[in-house]
Amino acid sequence: MPLVADTPAQEQVDHALVTRVLLGNDPRAFEQLLRRHQGMVRAQLRRLTQGDEAAADDLAQETFVLAWRKLGQFRGEARFSTWLYRIAYSCFLQAYRRPAWSGRDTQEDTFEHHRAPDSSIDLQLDLARAMRKLSSAEQAVLLHGVQLGLSHEETAYVLGMPLGTVKTHATRGKAKLKTWLAAWQGTGNRE
Amino acid sequence: MHSPDDNDIDALLRQSFEGPVADDGFTDRVMQRLPARRHRLSWPMLAGVAAGIATCWLSLSSAPLYRAGWTDWLSGHWSSPAIIVWLALSGMSLLALGWVLAEPENR
Repeated sequence: MPLVADTPAQEQVDHALVTRVLLGNDPRAFEQLLRRHQGMVRAQLRRLTQGDEAAADDLAQETFVLAWRKLGQFRGEARFSTWLYRIAYSCFLQAYRRPAWSGRDTQEDTFEHHRAPDSSIDLQLDLARAMRKLSSAEQAVLLHGVQLGLSHEETAYVLGMPLGTVKTHATRGKAKLKTWLAAWQGTGNRE
Repeated sequence: MHSPDDNDIDALLRQSFEGPVADDGFTDRVMQRLPARRHRLSWPMLAGVAAGIATCWLSLSSAPLYRAGWTDWLSGHWSSPAIIVWLALSGMSLLALGWVLAEPENR
């Protein structure tokens, strides 16, 4: 899966669209920003909500409404997409801390030993289970730092963590995954 | 048996990521929910600043120290009143500059 990393040209387009919204109060410019970024923000939130698409889309709506309100605070210090990820993660955390969220089924399952691997689909399933066994901080760091393709610095910005903590969570998370998925070594995990 | 290295783990994680979600009307739904943006009214602030300057000018213009300082300053004579007026104006300018720089942070 190719990562959707912003090129400098895409960043310039984002900045131009933000300027159009702020100077001209132009909703169509914001609509373009929304179309450009909704896919990745919703993917981020689906991961954070453990695949709960309805909850993720509700949070994504909340994210973009907040972005619309706070657009004047975007100063271009981070990429626009990174700024959106930060708002989305903040929305997720607020929802996650509500009592109603704790009662949700997060698809927790037992993950102790891995049987002999059968196929790449089994590997993906084991990986998904292994990811769920990581701490929430390790999951968040690997999601943003590896799957969304952010740098350590950007991940720290999005998650509001010190840079050293991000690096530690990344190292520990990968070490755990390596241990838990060791049985798959040499059985086609480079497919 | 060797465990998978970091690159393998990274590759696996990226492979398992589904990528961007298709729009399917999401953008339209959000656009309908957007509230109207609030316009920042600049004229009340400008009117307040102008009124403050005018009030200051009127209240200070009759003060002997201010008059002496202003007259000396305009004539190029750096007397004590002129220096006091200059310091007061510089201080107020610095305060205004600090406020202008800090204001966007608080928005």
